[in-house]
Amino acid sequence: MLKKGDLIILGFAIILIAASFIGVSIYKSSGENARKIAVIIKDNQEIKRIDIDAVSEPMEITVLGEYNDIVLVEKGRIRFKEADCPDKVCVNTGWLTEKGDMAVCLPNKTMIKIEGQSDDVDIVTY
Amino acid sequence: MNKVKKTILLGVFVSQALILSIIESWIPIPAPVPGVKLGLANIITIITIMFFGFREAISVVFVRCVLSSIFGGGGWMLFLFSISGGVLSTVVMSVLYKSGRNKFSITGISIAGAIAHNIGQILVAAFFMKDLAVAVVLPVLLVSGSIMGFFVGLVSGFLEGALRRTRIFD
Repeated sequence: MLKKGDLIILGFAIILIAASFIGVSIYKSSGENARKIAVIIKDNQEIKRIDIDAVSEPMEITVLGEYNDIVLVEKGRIRFKEADCPDKVCVNTGWLTEKGDMAVCLPNKTMIKIEGQSDDVDIVTY
Repeated sequence: MNKVKKTILLGVFVSQALILSIIESWIPIPAPVPGVKLGLANIITIITIMFFGFREAISVVFVRCVLSSIFGGGGWMLFLFSISGGVLSTVVMSVLYKSGRNKFSITGISIAGAIAHNIGQILVAAFFMKDLAVAVVLPVLLVSGSIMGFFVGLVSGFLEGALRRTRIFD
């Protein structure tokens, strides 16, 4: 059932999968030990930037638009809690906890992602 | 095959593809990333490529995406999202199918189509979100897409045999 050309497809698939795994792990491990900064972006504009490790009380952020999303932030994690878009892909993504984690609501063009911010000191003055 | 019969068969294909994508949306898939799905509607795309050709398959995919966006909601963004994956995978599968069935099995063609579908969607998402970081879901999507592509290819092979025996395409 397997034919010669299938091996080419399979080889291509394995190379793609391996390359994407390597790329993502490099991306996630860059800037380790950094602070976790969650960024909420709507229509390609940053509307909020939160240091989620520094959040003590859970809080909700409402993003209004064509559809409405409610973002829930707790210590060390963030998620889409509710959305009135039809597909609910963003809500089903669940909690984001690590750098590189991301949830997207395409109908509303809203995205949350966790970025790292280096703890390194830029300038010290006396 | 006369024109009326062809139109009717393609219409039936569109409705089958729509039903499959509705049934698929009822099946919850536990996945750590968004965008993982079964891709059952791809069975119809493959069958259309086999029995008709590239132009007809693209038409079926286009009409299916338009109708599922109207019925399912989500507006322009979700439409562009589904059409991008659909068109890219149809192009890839048609090219592979035309280049010779003795070189590629239906399963192989289906896997290639699933991978093309995932890549097309990520490209569109990255374009609209203006952020390549959406590609972090690609590893999981490629693995699940390849697995589902395999099964969709198997089913399409069985369906092809059954349909050939009915002789409705003669």
